[in-house]
Amino acid sequence: MTYSTFNKVKNDALKEPMFFGQNVNVARYDQQRHAIFEKLIEKQLSFFWRPEEVDLSSDRKDFMAMPEHEKHIFLSNLKYQTLLDSVQGRSPNVAFLPVVSLPELETWLETWSFSETVHSRSYTHIIRNVVSDPSVVFDDIVDNPEIVKRAESVTRYYDEFIAKCNLYSLVGAGEHQLNGETVVVNLRELKRLMYLTITSVNVLEAVRFYVSFACSFAFAERAIMEGNAKVIKLIARDEALHLAGTQHMMNLMAQGQDDPEMVSIAAECQDQVIQIFEEAAEQEKEWASYLFKDGSMIGLNAEILKEYVEYITNIRIRALGFDDLYPGRNANPLPWMNAWLVSDNVQVAPQEAEISSYLVGAIDSDMDDADFDDFDL
Amino acid sequence: MSHSTVTVNKTTVFDYDAEFSLLDSMEENQVPANYNCRGGYCGLCKIKLTQGQVTWVQDSLVSLDADEVLACCCVPDGPISIEM
Repeated sequence: MTYSTFNKVKNDALKEPMFFGQNVNVARYDQQRHAIFEKLIEKQLSFFWRPEEVDLSSDRKDFMAMPEHEKHIFLSNLKYQTLLDSVQGRSPNVAFLPVVSLPELETWLETWSFSETVHSRSYTHIIRNVVSDPSVVFDDIVDNPEIVKRAESVTRYYDEFIAKCNLYSLVGAGEHQLNGETVVVNLRELKRLMYLTITSVNVLEAVRFYVSFACSFAFAERAIMEGNAKVIKLIARDEALHLAGTQHMMNLMAQGQDDPEMVSIAAECQDQVIQIFEEAAEQEKEWASYLFKDGSMIGLNAEILKEYVEYITNIRIRALGFDDLYPGRNANPLPWMNAWLVSDNVQVAPQEAEISSYLVGAIDSDMDDADFDDFDL
Repeated sequence: MSHSTVTVNKTTVFDYDAEFSLLDSMEENQVPANYNCRGGYCGLCKIKLTQGQVTWVQDSLVSLDADEVLACCCVPDGPISIEM
């Protein structure tokens, strides 16, 4: 299964599975086996934004005026989000591009991952603005035990999948001795690992981000850190799209609309999928306790945040055809969050609107005789 | 297409009155519905269409079973029954 950057074998991408078929050769988008990924690309491109578009000038003042326990909540969330997007800005590419077989899915993975790098850049933009030495925040991400614990469970599946794919690509299927350990790799095992990795990514996008989102929006509900909330609103909009992408991958595989072998693999993995969701939800609830260890903030406390984690976990796991993980938790305990997650409330960037001064390379064809007054031959 | 009857969970009945989407119409008629994005990609307003037809007013980007619709993406096309 040696990876080729341009597979010379003529293949029909309409007959390939999403992953582990032939490597993609021609990047063509006029036809798709799974048209949904083309739609997601279009949507993501239409969502393009830059962190610098958002004015954060009043946030620094707000931050300085915050009590210490609220500063802790704000900075801890930023650190955690920085971790998540550091992983997501590279991992879909590193893990899935070598094994993807559909051009539309290949480009979706790249588009998705690119948008995560914009999120990472926006954290730098925010952190630079609120603290004088950004290293104090960034360096703590690999030192803080609460964040390191989460990093381990966020990256575990990615890392194992990437390592085993590398081995398979290099020496093929079989039992291999690696650093004194026996490692078994075969295609079915790789597919199983891939399904679990996608599940873990789905949980990351669908559940893990939302505690931080809730805190950012709760600050803005009090009319503080509003610039930050505007950035987080744009990030939340992207993340909702990304989670739709992983939900589609999982459902297409489990429902037999892609690689037929994935149906039985998905069925075998059901308990592990539930376990991945449960682990993430419980970790997020622990995170809520850590955030509020020194005190709550107005409008939000650890208990209500934990209820929100259970509510959102139920919704996400239901979308994959599973039963609720937290039966009875069906009412949204933070209904005001909806106003922040609505896409049509997102402010239109000047370059998207019809303001000619923002149209790059636009030509003003409106002329009259006076325009030639200072023109000499 | 306007004034189609919408029956919710076999109990509540209201008239669709040319709102942008079924979700807007439900809210207009005090039928509480989950939602986040209202743009067809978060999937929170997914409901079961048990009877009747709908017209799509925007693209749905989430996985849907044959009997499911996103309330933010469609409007009733004649009388419909939904479950949520």
